[in-house]
Amino acid sequence: MLPTLRTLGNGLRRSAGFGRLHTSAISRHDALFVHRDTPEDNPDIPFEFTAENQKRVQAILAIYPEGHKRGAMIPLLDLAQRQYGWLPISAMHKVAEILNLPSMRVYEVATFYTMFMRKPTGKYHVQICTTTPCWLRGSDEILEAIKKNLNLEVGQTSSDKQFTLSEVECLGACVNAPMVQINDDYYEDLTVQDTNEILNDLKAGKKPKPGPRSGRFAAEPSGEPTSLKGEPPAAGFGVRADL
Amino acid sequence: MLRTTLAKVLNGAQFSPKNIAVITRAASDQAAKKPEKIEVFIDDIPVKVEPGTTVLQAAAMVGVEIPRFCYHERLAVAGNCRMCLVEVEKSPKPVAACAMPVMKGWRIKTDSELTKKAREGIMEFLLVNHPLDCPICDQGGECDLQDQSMAFGSDRSRFTDIDHSGKRAVEDKDIGPLIKTIMTRCIHCTRCIRFASEVAGVDDLGTTGRGNDMQVGTYVEKMFLSELSGNVIDLCPVGALTSKPYSFTARPWEIRKIDSIDVLDAVGSNIVVSTRTGEVMRIMPRVNEEINEEWLSDKSRFSYDGLKRQRLVTPMLRDSKGELKPVDWEVALLTVAKQLKNAGPSVGAIAGGFADAEVLVAVKDLLNKLGSEALCTEHTFPLDGSGTDLRSSYLLNNKIAGAEEADFVLLIGTNPRLEAPLLNSRLRKGYVHNELEVALIGPKVDLSYKYVHLGDSPSVLEQLVNGQHQISKKLTSAKKPLIIIGSEVLERPDGGAILSAVQKLCAATNPQTENWKVLNVLHKVASQVAALDIGYTPGVDKIRELSPKILLLLGADEGSIDKSDLSKDTFIIYLGHHGDNGAAVADAILPGAAYTEKQATYVNTEGRAQQTLTAVSPPGRAREDWKIIRALSEIIGATLPYDNLNEIRNRLDEVAPHLTRYGTAENANFFKQAEALSKSVKSQIDKTPFDVKLKELQDYFMTDSISRASPTMAKCVQAVIKQKQSKY
Amino acid sequence: MSYFGIDRIFKVFQTMRSYGGIKASLYKLWRMDSLRPGILVGTDKYGNQYYENKSYFYGRNRWIEYAPKYGFDYDGSQVPAEWFGWLHYKTDLLPSQDPSRPNYKWMADHTENLSGTSEQYVPYSTTKPKIQAWFCKMTFFDGT
Repeated sequence: MLPTLRTLGNGLRRSAGFGRLHTSAISRHDALFVHRDTPEDNPDIPFEFTAENQKRVQAILAIYPEGHKRGAMIPLLDLAQRQYGWLPISAMHKVAEILNLPSMRVYEVATFYTMFMRKPTGKYHVQICTTTPCWLRGSDEILEAIKKNLNLEVGQTSSDKQFTLSEVECLGACVNAPMVQINDDYYEDLTVQDTNEILNDLKAGKKPKPGPRSGRFAAEPSGEPTSLKGEPPAAGFGVRADL
Repeated sequence: MLRTTLAKVLNGAQFSPKNIAVITRAASDQAAKKPEKIEVFIDDIPVKVEPGTTVLQAAAMVGVEIPRFCYHERLAVAGNCRMCLVEVEKSPKPVAACAMPVMKGWRIKTDSELTKKAREGIMEFLLVNHPLDCPICDQGGECDLQDQSMAFGSDRSRFTDIDHSGKRAVEDKDIGPLIKTIMTRCIHCTRCIRFASEVAGVDDLGTTGRGNDMQVGTYVEKMFLSELSGNVIDLCPVGALTSKPYSFTARPWEIRKIDSIDVLDAVGSNIVVSTRTGEVMRIMPRVNEEINEEWLSDKSRFSYDGLKRQRLVTPMLRDSKGELKPVDWEVALLTVAKQLKNAGPSVGAIAGGFADAEVLVAVKDLLNKLGSEALCTEHTFPLDGSGTDLRSSYLLNNKIAGAEEADFVLLIGTNPRLEAPLLNSRLRKGYVHNELEVALIGPKVDLSYKYVHLGDSPSVLEQLVNGQHQISKKLTSAKKPLIIIGSEVLERPDGGAILSAVQKLCAATNPQTENWKVLNVLHKVASQVAALDIGYTPGVDKIRELSPKILLLLGADEGSIDKSDLSKDTFIIYLGHHGDNGAAVADAILPGAAYTEKQATYVNTEGRAQQTLTAVSPPGRAREDWKIIRALSEIIGATLPYDNLNEIRNRLDEVAPHLTRYGTAENANFFKQAEALSKSVKSQIDKTPFDVKLKELQDYFMTDSISRASPTMAKCVQAVIKQKQSKY
Repeated sequence: MSYFGIDRIFKVFQTMRSYGGIKASLYKLWRMDSLRPGILVGTDKYGNQYYENKSYFYGRNRWIEYAPKYGFDYDGSQVPAEWFGWLHYKTDLLPSQDPSRPNYKWMADHTENLSGTSEQYVPYSTTKPKIQAWFCKMTFFDGT
């Protein structure tokens, strides 16, 4: 409605030549920073750490000295997110309860960090980097391929709760651009074909091997090394003789 | 941000972070080793300051005020608004004055080009996302952002971006019936968040999100309900948090401000009454370091709309059908005078919670002239032992400000959080910053800080007196112990025995500080101390015994006496300002003035005499209370010898000189004698557990005739009940 | 005679005679601040008399003598609508001579301006009272 009106207004303005129609664009973040109860996410849904994770909770808490247990908040939230797939409000309440903190202090942290997913997220969280180095190396095509393959737009989750697609800023693998991060694994040096392969493997329930797809081991130059090829010179190399 | 301070509170650790500048009262026993003062230069003016003083505080010492939004002297330092940036010589960047401790020889330039540029830049950033709705904003005219953008902002705008990205917009939050939020106006100073978690002890507010999308709020749908919540309105430097009852009613430049005293609890907070067109528009706190600092409890702040409802505006008499009919003053006074003449000395009076010292003394003089001594207060106090003869046994002897210095506090049968919120905020301050330990005998209540609950059985008190309780050692070894006993448990039939036990317990403590008073009584109503000082008998038993022909109720609305206690033909005169329980049983109603409508003396629970000033005139035909009594005395033929305020104040001075020494709390003495006399009390403490009326927040809002008449207070009660049903 | 203005003195006497003697004329002068000879052209149903004297110049040659019942309490709003036009030179036709003057049954009787009297119109207040008074609703008898 509003965009239509704005376009209409701007059109009118241009054709009629009278003063501007003032509209304020809404600056909108992709995440909401207030909580709304939904069927998937409300405080009535119980959350409990599994027995195995209970041990992890104790181990995490043991790291922090008495009186500074709240330092364990981020590790615990991460643990909860790994267990549940994303971070529902009941999990935040659970963490607050473990740390004996007011819930608000947990909400503050959970909303501050973008890697805490506060809405339902698929089993595979596909995060594609579109920052400059990746973009220069063709991340746009990769993104298109992912969108086409998964039939998703950025920010959406597939209806079978398998895939969530997000566009992220630099993940620090610029040498191996373009790249995507799927859950904890980096898939680097991608081509459109590689991308489809990875996604299809995931759909088939297989786990594709993480790492560069170009045959590189890591971030070394592709092909032959171009520098530092010989033995390193001995001690005293290049030093003045009189020293 | 403020998280470090919370570490102790939340995890119960033994260390409180010392890296946060907190204004605490200088403890007198810490004078031993003072570090050397260091010299700094503020705009080339030399000043010697303690190490650890911040640049902003050092500047304040020489009278240079540095602009600020997030910094507040009673809250932890956040340092996030950056408005206080100043240039320090040889420092490459401007420095945030509120958070930076001064170093030796620093030359701070608060008026240099760099400082000015920094301020202009910050103002520009703040205003980029601040809406231009000052004309419809309630804060307009008393807004820090307005003032500082005028004083320190750039004189022209570079903001031409409106078509491109627009201004940030944030949805408003529903945080209760008292505070209106317009979150788009928020500049993220986080003062409200710090107040909520440090002073109020309710960690409901916080920041969510990050960067440009950061919001201040509760994240979930939850109201910010506390007995001190209204203070965030004063703290908010912009119009993001404003008063809901006051919204769109008046502008700061059209109101008259009158300094006054609050009477809704026994603390006697200092207030400013804002009026316009003969109407009280709002009530705000006034700084008094001895009593309320700069805070005010919600009941005192918001129940002023109760002053406009259920008022007695004209004298009334009960006619032959038993209905109260409005009459003229002449008729009313003549009728009452006739009844008084017929009754002779069979007259009694009961003083309620809002009676001021002037009317108390006028009524006492009148009844004494008529030959009656039946002058009572509505709230009981034990008369065994020294009774009310020694002031020390009924005052909060160590003063309100003294509470924050204590290292061990024993609360007996009281819930200070709701009975005296500002005393509780002192205790909380001591708890957060001063390692104060609190123990409570009485029902388990939420005091907003951790305490040891000793149970509600009176046997605990007996164990303590005998020194057998596990906490006894702490009490005796404490350097600054305090025992605060609620007036409510002293109203029990065994109150005398309880007070005697407490006096014994106080004698067993070993305070290490001179003039440290252990025994403290916390009253609940504003009139009680003045009434006892003037010589009223606490409790209405005397009236029940005598069953006088005429009973004068001075705003007594708590239903301490009802018609079945009196003989059938008792003529009840009600002198007060609200139609409540008292007025409903009265045969004659003489409309008096409420505390905003008269210049009157009140004595708070620590024995400090203070006076209210006339903010508005009494409604309709209502008159100042003592003048009604004076007029009545003339008709009866027992004219009281005072015609104006000065003369009745002289009379007050004769009765008890401290009643006219406004602002000072006279120390009470004779603790030893009171304790010795209390040994004569032979009665036993019975087994009934200690109880308090105000247990939870919803009990707090409507406790007297003013707050019961207030629609805002009723909404607060509703909100608390609604919040209880919420999942958060 | 006219040269010395004696005819004017006669005119005064004549006028006084037409008003019914010295006493009545003095009363009229006191009441209306003028004493003018004129021809009575009509009387309305309230008893006001309308006079005309063409020898005065236009604008001053028609006037009203308010009915005696008004005493000194007369004012312009006591002129009924049908005489208003003639009195203010909107028309030269007297009400009785005007054929086009509407006359319906539903036409209300003329009322004078009641401002300042006890019958004046006062609109009800649209503002809330600042103070709500308390009235005892229940009739109270003691416990028996």
